[in-house]
Amino acid sequence: MADNASVTSALLKRTVYRNLMKDYLPFPIDRKLCARWAGGIPEGGSSIIYTSMMYQMAPMFKAYESLLPRAARLRGSERLASLGKFLFKPKRAELERAYAILRNIASMLSKSDVDFGYLHEKEPYSGAILIELGMRDEFIEYGKKLTSFFTGLGVERVITVDPHTTNALARMKEYVPSRLEVVNYLSLIDGARGEGKFVLHDSCLYARHLGLRDSIRQSIGRTGISLAEDRMVTGKGTAMCCGSPVGAVSPDLGEKIAEVRARALLSVGGSVMVMCPMCYQALSPHIKGLKDFAEVVR
Amino acid sequence: MSSEWEEAIERSTRNNVPEVWRMLEEHPYLESTRVELRKAKLRVLDNLDEFIGKTMEAVTKSGGVAHLARDAAEARDIVDRIIGGREHIILSKSNVAYEAGIRQHLRDRGKDVWETDFGEYLLQIAEEEPSHIITVALHMTKEKFGRELHRNLDESINEDSTPAEMAAAVRRFLLGKYDTAEVGITGANAVAADTGSVALVENEGNIRMTSVRPQIHIAVTGIDKIVPTLGDAFKEVMIQAAYAGSYPPTYINVTTGPSSTGDIESQIIRPATGPREFHLVLIDNGRMKAAADRELREALLCIRCGRCYFACPTYRVMGKEWGKPPYSGPTGVMWNAIVRGDSSAAHMCTHSAGCREVCPMDINIPRVLEYIKYTDFKKMEEGGKK
Ligand code: SF4
Repeated sequence: MADNASVTSALLKRTVYRNLMKDYLPFPIDRKLCARWAGGIPEGGSSIIYTSMMYQMAPMFKAYESLLPRAARLRGSERLASLGKFLFKPKRAELERAYAILRNIASMLSKSDVDFGYLHEKEPYSGAILIELGMRDEFIEYGKKLTSFFTGLGVERVITVDPHTTNALARMKEYVPSRLEVVNYLSLIDGARGEGKFVLHDSCLYARHLGLRDSIRQSIGRTGISLAEDRMVTGKGTAMCCGSPVGAVSPDLGEKIAEVRARALLSVGGSVMVMCPMCYQALSPHIKGLKDFAEVVR
Repeated sequence: MSSEWEEAIERSTRNNVPEVWRMLEEHPYLESTRVELRKAKLRVLDNLDEFIGKTMEAVTKSGGVAHLARDAAEARDIVDRIIGGREHIILSKSNVAYEAGIRQHLRDRGKDVWETDFGEYLLQIAEEEPSHIITVALHMTKEKFGRELHRNLDESINEDSTPAEMAAAVRRFLLGKYDTAEVGITGANAVAADTGSVALVENEGNIRMTSVRPQIHIAVTGIDKIVPTLGDAFKEVMIQAAYAGSYPPTYINVTTGPSSTGDIESQIIRPATGPREFHLVLIDNGRMKAAADRELREALLCIRCGRCYFACPTYRVMGKEWGKPPYSGPTGVMWNAIVRGDSSAAHMCTHSAGCREVCPMDINIPRVLEYIKYTDFKKMEEGGKK
């Protein structure tokens, strides 16, 4: 299993990196489709909402993941690249859901008097997958390219909407110093309101890597939503991953981790909430009615 | 993922995690102790050569013999030379002895070798590999213990026997072994550079017996276990025990050279009642190289408390299949890279970072594993491997 993981990772590295350096996309992706949610948001500006296409692409990530181990067995990155030409498209309903989430985030930001534009079809991918898989040199190279891309467009502040992008940009600054300000939307939506009681599946990146576990709970608390907690399931050192990050390397392992996590969450309560599109992809097959935070607040 | 594994890891997590919380809450001074210990261990890693020299000198001064093995093969040779023609050997659980393949090597040479830790003994008779760095037979349920004992030790024990009945059967067997053993091999939780003392922590009493009953005591451990002073060694055993979930520990053993008495005219006479010879075998096996690497050396701070295992989703699913025993789980995957140069398991890390939250040494395990993945890619490129 582990040896296969090395080969799959190496394959990912070559394919994804090549695509990114070519046109800022990890896989062949329909940019129009990714930008369709944002009608009415001004193009560019010094402050932008940055989706990194995560909500829109999350279902496609899964489709590519399931291809990778097969391609690794065939030792054929070229074959994988050609499979990529098929251009996976998320289902209509999945896309509509992603659009609704992003529109809601944009509307909550506007309601909180935050100014922002959007890069629409020019929006690049953050490079998160490179750093998460340990491809540091490639991440740094891509980071330089991405940083100058933003600077070239006069972007000074980036408002992120998902943990993978937020984490990637934080890591990027370790290696590629820049003046780019990175702020997550959760810290900006003062006036958001919601109701009900949920079990929160923490994003590992938000809660532990970025140290936001407590501030996120405060943000949620301010909306009127309450959380059901069980120290053994939702504690800082006990809350486990949804399995998604390892899915690209070993889909089987990712799937089993998701099953275990879903069981644990459901033991705390029936209404479960996530804050990440990848967590949603991993857990939704196992948790009926799973919601993203941006689906339960306005 | 077998259902037996699921059952076993679920039960152990439910037992261990709240126990550690309780101990840390009841003994708040452990918090500052662990911070001091990290600092002390970093001091050694900054000057490893010097501390190895100091330790070996102190062991010699205390009447013991210090050995330094570059790798596992050299460690086995040293142990062979010490044991010579002696036949009866007992071992207390030691990951480093396992890493060096000592038990298997001695068995291959026809020696009568027995593990004295209950879990390790069970693994020995069941011919299985350890699944956790402390609770080595964590993958075995009580029922499996019963079946193995029935088959290999005592027919009156079966899967319906109580844990106390099982423990009694193993105890009877081991007590006989202590009587005949000529050599006792232990590991070390910490080695004090200023006194040459070896500190070991345990609950079963087998380490105490193994280090005192036979006339020769060999402690086999890694150079990463060296701490500046005997005071630091006590800190390490305290923290190891607490974060492993057994605080206060039943026994803390300290050995400084062979047994001695000063009762006749205040002259130091060796031996007294305990061992006649004490040997410390320090193993490098990749540790020195790791200490020189700014990112990898964090792993050398590990005190093997095993707490990170219970916070890890990959381990939860894969168990001992993640890594290579005795080094599985989050810390084990780092250790495989250090002692075996095997980085492949690191790619299965899902960077949940629960391990980092619970680690008493504040090791940023996901970051070390990310670095190991990174170096693995580099090796692949250099080797022209896919
Ligand atoms: S890495 Fe930390 S938590 Fe894991 S065994 Fe070592 S000291 Fe304990």
